[in-house]
Amino acid sequence: MNIFSFTSSELEAIKLSVGVAVYSSIISLPFALLFGYYLARRQFPGKAIVESIIHLPLVMPPVTTGYLLLLILGTRGFIGKWLYAAFGIKLAFTFEAAVIASVFVSFPLIVRSIRTAIEMVDPSLEDASRILGVGRLKTFFRITVPLAAPGIVSGTILAFARSLGEFGATITFAGNIAGETQTLPLAVFAYMQVPGREIETLRLVLISVLISLFAMALSELYIRKMKRS
Amino acid sequence: MIQVDIQLKRDNFDVVVKETFGMGITGIFGPSGSGKTSLLNAICGLAKPEQGFISINGKKVYSIDEKINVPVEQRRIGYVFQEGRLFPHLTVEKNLRYGMKGTDNNGMFNKVVELLKLGHILKSKPAKISGGERQRTAIGRALLSSPELLLLDEPFSALDVHLRQQILPFILKIQQTIKIPILVVSHDISDLLKLTNRLCLLKQGRVIGHDDYHVLLRHPELQASFSSHSLINAVSMTVARVDEESGITTLSYGETENWIKVVCEKSRLTYRKGDQIKIFIPSDDIALSATRLPYVTIQNQLEGVIQDIIPRGNVRICIVNVGFPLLVEITAESLKRMDIGIGYPVWCLFKSVAIDVAS
Repeated sequence: MNIFSFTSSELEAIKLSVGVAVYSSIISLPFALLFGYYLARRQFPGKAIVESIIHLPLVMPPVTTGYLLLLILGTRGFIGKWLYAAFGIKLAFTFEAAVIASVFVSFPLIVRSIRTAIEMVDPSLEDASRILGVGRLKTFFRITVPLAAPGIVSGTILAFARSLGEFGATITFAGNIAGETQTLPLAVFAYMQVPGREIETLRLVLISVLISLFAMALSELYIRKMKRS
Repeated sequence: MIQVDIQLKRDNFDVVVKETFGMGITGIFGPSGSGKTSLLNAICGLAKPEQGFISINGKKVYSIDEKINVPVEQRRIGYVFQEGRLFPHLTVEKNLRYGMKGTDNNGMFNKVVELLKLGHILKSKPAKISGGERQRTAIGRALLSSPELLLLDEPFSALDVHLRQQILPFILKIQQTIKIPILVVSHDISDLLKLTNRLCLLKQGRVIGHDDYHVLLRHPELQASFSSHSLINAVSMTVARVDEESGITTLSYGETENWIKVVCEKSRLTYRKGDQIKIFIPSDDIALSATRLPYVTIQNQLEGVIQDIIPRGNVRICIVNVGFPLLVEITAESLKRMDIGIGYPVWCLFKSVAIDVAS
């Protein structure tokens, strides 16, 4: 049997994984920029609490994160119930649920990385920009973001890779439905449960490694290019 | 015109300033930690005074009583920082254009690039250019944001003596070209005097004097502020004659008969009759004589009358009116030996090479 002839459910798992990771990174990024900026630059009451809540998924077992999401957003959860009643939206055990689980689990990583990058940007350059007549928001996009770009990119890649590997929260909140929520790690897990499926397992593991390596290489290339210019 | 009437709390002292600054350059002078930068920060909006108001050209930008606090980006102020603060990810050209609004109908960009001689580095990043070029870019960037007021915070401190000489003439030219108030902060009196005679002295957050330099010098209580600094005469003069053969340029001041002869390489190349130039003569490079000396190599002998004598340690500063006030620093001993005093006619002697020219 050829090691590179994928079955349709395997291809589906690869597509799903990349899809979840891409959506999760895209959704996380704007929020991470907002939180990263405020945590880096502002002092406000309750800052420590906000920080702790953001970082919670980093120290909690992912399964518990997934369970909490289920409690809140599941069809019987207090937000989920309302979503279903008002809009007919069912989140738990869907592709969207896999994305949401990934967002929560990878969010602390991307926020941390962006926050550190913004802290490295000299705030006096932002002052200089404002004195030149450019408002706060434009200053953020014209000065802060470009100067923090390497950290923002590597944070996003980190979040992407973490989403790609997300298991615990996903299986709890999104389930393990082939073709719908079964991402690469879940497929690997499913194969491992069946005796005689070692080759398939290895193949998926290899694919995961390759995708992660590719993402990291891209970010490294980008950062090098930034440094050169 | 800028009106400042503020009280600003600092960690170790309060800055309490109630002053009006007019057109042209005002030098803000004081030792480190006297509140100079705090004053500039309050004017531009980076610091928030606890009391009072600030108005620029009659418009209040800050007032505690009227609850006005115009945001930094709307105050239309050009601020040149000590370290330049160029944006490292942008080229010199993009830095210069950063604060420009709308289309550049009057060709301001080209004018500023030419004035500050930045044409050859427009495509370079700030890391690749010299300290002097960086400072010029920072000045240009501030000017192109069409400010109503220009603040310069220690614009020379990051530059060596040679580069300072380069930046000075640019700032003088700006003052002639763009009619806005300019505040220059420095802890180096000779740098400031090359730019302006109008000084505002700060000490521990308080203004202790704000007037023409020659007037301030006569206040005994302000003497301490100037001590240990070499006093410089900065005079704007008109080129009256250029002698290409000898390399000597003759300058005149108004209608006076006292002509000053300047000798330097540049004088031959740059100046034309009628040009306005600013010259600097250190006060301790000038000697006094009771009579005109007929046989002497010194080119410049200016006749004048002693207006005032200010004691300063064991030296005496004579203010001699030679058509304009000239500061001459001599020892107390010499003054006694010559037996001269206020009202006496004297000749001020200095070599042409002692004169520095802003060019």
